[in-house]
Amino acid sequence: MARKRGRGVAACWYGIARTATVDRAGAWAEIDDGGTVKILTGVTEIGEGILTVLAQIAAHEIGVKPADVTLGDNDTARSPEAAHAGATRQTYMIGNCVAIAARQAREKLVEVIADHWDVAASTIETANGEIWAAGTNHRISMGEAVRICKAKGVVPLGSGSFGTDTTGLDPIDGAGRPWQAYVFGCQVAEVEVDTITGEVQVLGIWAAHDVGRAVNPRGVEGQIEGGIVQALGQGLMEDYKLDQGRTSTSGFAKYILPTALDVPHVTSIIIEDPDPIGPLGVKGIGEPAMIPTIPAVMNAIYDAVGVRITSLPATPEKVLDAIKEKEKSHTRRNIPAVAAE
Amino acid sequence: MPELRIEATINGRKVARPAKPHLRLLDFLRDDLELTGTKEGCGAGECGTCSVFVDGVLMKSCLVPVAKAQGTRIETVEALANSGELSILQKAFHKAGASQCGYCIPGMVMAATAAIRSNPFAGREEIKERLGGNICRCTGYQKIIDAVEMARDVQNGKLSASVFAEDEPEDGAFIGANVRRIDAPSKVAGALKYAGDMVMPHMLHVQVLRSPHAHARVVSIDVSEAEAMDGVEGVITSADVPGEDGFGVFVHDQPIMARGKVRYIGEAVAAVAAEDVLTAKRALAKIKVVYEPLPAVFDPDEAMQPGAPVLHDYAPDNITKHIPIRVGDVTKGFAASELIVEQTYSTQAIEHAYLEPEAGLGYVDADGVVTIISPSQNITHHREMLSKIIAQPISKVRFIMSPVGGGFGGKEDMIYQGMLALLAMKTRRPVRLVFTREESIISTAKRHPSRTTLKMGLSKDGRIRAFEMRMISDGGAYGMSTEGVMRKAAILAAGPYAIANVKIDTYGIYTNNTPSGAFRSFGALQAQFATESHLDICAEKLGLDPFEIRRINAMRDGATTHTKQKLKSVSILRALEAAEKASDWEKGAPVSRGETRSDHATQGIRPPCALGARFEAPAAAERSEVA
Ligand code: FES
Ligand code: FES
Repeated sequence: MARKRGRGVAACWYGIARTATVDRAGAWAEIDDGGTVKILTGVTEIGEGILTVLAQIAAHEIGVKPADVTLGDNDTARSPEAAHAGATRQTYMIGNCVAIAARQAREKLVEVIADHWDVAASTIETANGEIWAAGTNHRISMGEAVRICKAKGVVPLGSGSFGTDTTGLDPIDGAGRPWQAYVFGCQVAEVEVDTITGEVQVLGIWAAHDVGRAVNPRGVEGQIEGGIVQALGQGLMEDYKLDQGRTSTSGFAKYILPTALDVPHVTSIIIEDPDPIGPLGVKGIGEPAMIPTIPAVMNAIYDAVGVRITSLPATPEKVLDAIKEKEKSHTRRNIPAVAAE
Repeated sequence: MPELRIEATINGRKVARPAKPHLRLLDFLRDDLELTGTKEGCGAGECGTCSVFVDGVLMKSCLVPVAKAQGTRIETVEALANSGELSILQKAFHKAGASQCGYCIPGMVMAATAAIRSNPFAGREEIKERLGGNICRCTGYQKIIDAVEMARDVQNGKLSASVFAEDEPEDGAFIGANVRRIDAPSKVAGALKYAGDMVMPHMLHVQVLRSPHAHARVVSIDVSEAEAMDGVEGVITSADVPGEDGFGVFVHDQPIMARGKVRYIGEAVAAVAAEDVLTAKRALAKIKVVYEPLPAVFDPDEAMQPGAPVLHDYAPDNITKHIPIRVGDVTKGFAASELIVEQTYSTQAIEHAYLEPEAGLGYVDADGVVTIISPSQNITHHREMLSKIIAQPISKVRFIMSPVGGGFGGKEDMIYQGMLALLAMKTRRPVRLVFTREESIISTAKRHPSRTTLKMGLSKDGRIRAFEMRMISDGGAYGMSTEGVMRKAAILAAGPYAIANVKIDTYGIYTNNTPSGAFRSFGALQAQFATESHLDICAEKLGLDPFEIRRINAMRDGATTHTKQKLKSVSILRALEAAEKASDWEKGAPVSRGETRSDHATQGIRPPCALGARFEAPAAAERSEVA
């Protein structure tokens, strides 16, 4: 059989937000005319879906629809610091501070409306653009509520700041509290190895990742799928080659990337082990999604053809060489046995 | 050069206008007609971001000379959502969550449109093959292919168009709901402007002169001839930096442009702002730099040897950062082990290959605020560094983060924003710089290549008694994120496992290679590749199932990490169990039992790819649809 299948598994862990330093982020929220919501924080989309996540959080917390949320631009002169877009920190750091800001703005609005209706603030509920007092006939739109609020001279605003309780590492033994939230994951890979060409095709990945709480499950899947395919690129084909500091792979003709034809079917399993510290329970997924993929694939190659690839990428040439090497040593070992027969 | 006159029908409108003959159709669409939905990802026919229809045929407009557009009918992504309503395919992309950074998406939508125009019944495998010329770095393609299938089925009446509607939870609980991405409509329509799509009135174009040497002293730079050229408005070198010239995520060891010496091929040496890109490029050729080559070092192990060429005076041993982790006593741990396995692992440098090459605009506003618009992943830190570099208070520096067409860590370094600031200050006009793909690849950070030696001691029952790892990483010419990458690699190297005796050392080393920097999963990927491979080697020797060996060692709730931090809840056991169950894993030691195992799934995998064999004849497909 020229093509052999195999399976492998690998696990991972990762820390959320900046490492071994205090991380922080801030946001402002305003419940605006028409029952819309304005969120200002120094972040924009780098593709992970953070704007949608923040709109969902603000909508959920204030009681409007995500479509009613406007997000301000990421601008150091116009919005609070959200710090950098990286370190799997966006949903955790900025999501949590948007929740804090949104809750505060809602509280301001609720206080005025409760007073207006002469009910206890604790009886007031909001959802999907409406505000009502439980057990009464009081129910109006958020837009109307904002109008009432402003007529009483109050603009419902909130601000949120979220920081981590973390420390640097000891320079001698590394002791310290680098993160306050950790995530864990595990992936299984199924591969098919062509023993004639050495080519490895990854057919399936089952990826189980703890994300704390999934704000947008489809977005989480997108991060997992994208991370896995980036990892496959590193595992099987990508190679930035340098000779005396000069690259021979300065364009996409030479620098090979995964295409739609190279990708496995990915089955994502989202695990929710809520973060006990932040107000939302969210953690993150961007980076950890790609960590177990490569070792899972290398373990699967071993299962399929009995060769262990320890230097990346596992190109067809490398896999083929390893298979030949293995056969050679196998034959060598078998010679005495054959002779004895 | 005599100008051409192009007459063509573009997005249904007749266009008749002059064009420079050296333009590609892509430039004509983007620069002359401001149809910036068509993107330039590579300029070499390799990525598909520039896909358009010419007389109904899908083409890569970066490969089409503008003269070829004469008399043709051209459709760009802007034509798909006519009168504002998204096409079925665009709606499907929105619904399926098929766009992330969005930079590949206009091209992807065009290719997908072509796919279902060519064969309205195309199957999943055929769709993949028809999208094979388009690269997406973000999504892993799965949701893109899902979207095309969804659009196909709606178009064929197999699915109702109501599938595109938003899921709206009745109780308003939007956390946990699959809300459609709010940025997707602008991305699928090609309407969103990335920095390279933005123009400002009176804007100049920037080009950068880069070092051809890996290590050389810069003896002199003469810009006088370039400066005197018609159309050149400003030339800068490190002599134009008014403040403290240095940036970096951890150490500020990198000047805006080479100062005194160059340390890698591709390092910026000077920059020009001119009325157009071509003039700026010509001016680069007029800058005279005298270099005196220095001995260079390209291997991190060699760079650590005494007497190796030194890159930065502050680090005479070329060590950017060493991070040690120590728990217990590994000597005792190995002594108490029944199995000891040692193995080396290595990983290569890889490129982020975000589809959007670096681009940015700089201007000085009416209040004298130096403003930079760019897809920077860290505007707060960039503002702080730039304020020192240009010797201005923070209030006079402003960073605006434009939509990022993929980052993955590669856009955390302030590698070009300083030049934009200096040129805007010097010319008092807005300036714009757009990297070519080649420029992006040679000058920006890579993932750290690593060499790791891992020694693990275990007892027969599979418990890890000692873990010793030494990882040497090539950080290249500048510090960038090396320190942080070494730290994260060290903290996470031993995996989510409770181990009493741990010794880890990670080293980031300066060499004259392209700098290494932040890259999604930041050192943890390199280290855990070694550890997770190693566990399987050990499991085989101990006759243990790979899940089992991981379970035996997994941290439990309340565990103490290798940095002696006490954790509350630890979900690794849940993750192991979920993956094992979902994949129907058949238990057994990892002894190359591939052929004999019975868990090779029938579900959850794609069919193995056999190129070219997957197109069904449209007629046959149609028949089977009817049947
Ligand atoms: S294929 Fe034309 S820009 Fe990449
Ligand atoms: S969404 Fe495809 S490259 Fe980013």
